[in-house]
Amino acid sequence: MTTLLKLHRLKLVVLLLATNLALLLHLAAGHIKPMSEWVWLDILGEGGSTLLCLTWLGLVLKSRPAGRVTSFLAMGLGLVFFSWWVDTLDEFIRLPDSIVWDHWMESAPMPFGLLLLTLGIYHWHREQLAISAQMEKRERLFREHRLFDSLTPLNTAEYLRQHLDQALCQARSAQQPLSLVILDLDNFSRINHLHGHAEGDRVLQALSQLLVLNLRHQDLLCRLAGDRFVVMLPHTGERQAQQLAEDLRLSVEHFAHKARAHGERLQLRASVACVMALQDDAESLLQRLNQALAHAKPALYARSA
Amino acid sequence: MTLKATWYENDNRFIPGHWQPAVLVDLALSRGIDSHRLLRGTGLFHEDLQAGKARLCAQQFLQLIDNSERLLAAADTRFLFGQRLLPGYYGAASHALQHAADLSQALDIVCRYRALISPLLSPRVLLDEQNVYVYWLDTCGAGAQQRFLVESAMTALLAMSRWLAGAPLPWKVSIAQTRPRQVEQYWVNLGEDVRFDAPVDLLSLPREYLHQPWPAAAPTAGQAAQQQSMQQLQELGFDASLLDHLYRHLLANLRHQPQLENVALAFGMSPSTLKRKLHRHGTHFQEQLDLARKHMALYLYQIKGQSNEEVAAYLQFHDSTNLRRSFKRWTGLAPSALRQLWPCD
Repeated sequence: MTTLLKLHRLKLVVLLLATNLALLLHLAAGHIKPMSEWVWLDILGEGGSTLLCLTWLGLVLKSRPAGRVTSFLAMGLGLVFFSWWVDTLDEFIRLPDSIVWDHWMESAPMPFGLLLLTLGIYHWHREQLAISAQMEKRERLFREHRLFDSLTPLNTAEYLRQHLDQALCQARSAQQPLSLVILDLDNFSRINHLHGHAEGDRVLQALSQLLVLNLRHQDLLCRLAGDRFVVMLPHTGERQAQQLAEDLRLSVEHFAHKARAHGERLQLRASVACVMALQDDAESLLQRLNQALAHAKPALYARSA
Repeated sequence: MTLKATWYENDNRFIPGHWQPAVLVDLALSRGIDSHRLLRGTGLFHEDLQAGKARLCAQQFLQLIDNSERLLAAADTRFLFGQRLLPGYYGAASHALQHAADLSQALDIVCRYRALISPLLSPRVLLDEQNVYVYWLDTCGAGAQQRFLVESAMTALLAMSRWLAGAPLPWKVSIAQTRPRQVEQYWVNLGEDVRFDAPVDLLSLPREYLHQPWPAAAPTAGQAAQQQSMQQLQELGFDASLLDHLYRHLLANLRHQPQLENVALAFGMSPSTLKRKLHRHGTHFQEQLDLARKHMALYLYQIKGQSNEEVAAYLQFHDSTNLRRSFKRWTGLAPSALRQLWPCD
């Protein structure tokens, strides 16, 4: 709330002054209607619109970083709010017929407000395209913020599953191959034990950036769970997928992550595996992929005595 | 005749806030959860946990778990919690675990000092010729949180044995629920060998891994730490919960058809007091008796390889038809289906 006030002080002060001024002018020039003259339907409609508009303004200011696009949206919504506010005042205060400025106050801000709002939304659209370009390789076809991973800037297994259902259908109808690559860090729990879980989290975050850099623009990277990542490769056969998996494995091995505490380099290694979709659905394909990884993992089990 | 209670109940404040609860608090804070919202309804303040002064009862810890699950809203909370649980930072008991000579000793420590190491879930270890089995009992009426607790306890044991043995051990995992949608969390955290729809939540491992020496073993320091832990238990005045004691009593007396009246007598309280206490733990006598009978039946079928008639005789059923019906009610499986789906290995 305090950052909201700090960032948008001028806008909010102007809005507050304007609403007050309108109220004072109305009170000075007119007289208050008795309750018997109130039209409840109009009060509900106009007052409700005014309140909703104020909510939109609050949400926009609260959820967006300050900047040009936010200013357009805020000014637009501010003017719309003002015009509805004056409209609402009419319901409670009767002005003599000789006064015309109230019509101006009510009607003039609205078109300007709507114009500014349109401009803001247009630039918002441009901005969203730019952000989507930044999300490339981490998001495809649809967005669902509830499926964002809480640790890395990737999507979760559930997103992958939903996406895979669509992608498999598309691949089948276009008769194109589709492959998945899985990557799992070897002995990741050691990092957590020796360097702390916070360092382990940083490794996963860094790794998600590193893996994205190694992908083609049409690929999709998700975090399956823990230290296990899955890449979906559209239009890709098994051979090419194997090559890509190997690229990822090498990039992890050559990645020189430095621990925050003493700047020590952590040596990372990963196991990879890949499968090509045959007649699978998303669930069975993921299961097959996981089994392929289990085979690819070096025989790690402690020897029995 | 009233004895001084030698057990704890769900309103005994004895769990140090900076032990197991702190593991969960730190996990939630590292994910950006606000500490006030996290501790809402628990009657706790983060400052008290940090000062090492707060003592929680089981109910408060369960509320904390509920809050964390809700606020983190992630499929991996229980597994991340589990990975950090053991050997943990719980004073002498954790030291004893760290210096355990092998898995056998580590399991022994976890069971013996369970009130210190695992206050909400009591681990039980069973052996047959081939395997060691570990399962857990609800100690304080965990209700909806029981899955969270059991799955984090499994993760904790797997992660600890992997760390202290220096390599993963080939544990087999049975989960007593249908395959969840987030099955990948189980693959990553509990290994590839996870089976769902099991009659009971269980870990099993070939026996030869029990006595494989662990590299961090330090017998003398370990012994001293165990002595200290024992002292702590004596100061507390109990080593297990009421439900834990009840389960053990029932298991030992199944042949004598335990009834509420005689069990209450053995626990030095009136039947209505026992009834009230069980109600406060979200359970009742018949449920506890059925749990003990289910576990015993599974033990006799799976580990002892007994027939329907033998099991029925042990559990005081008139005939094997009645047993089969009850068994199906307890596990969802008929004994014959059990042998098919879960063959003894």
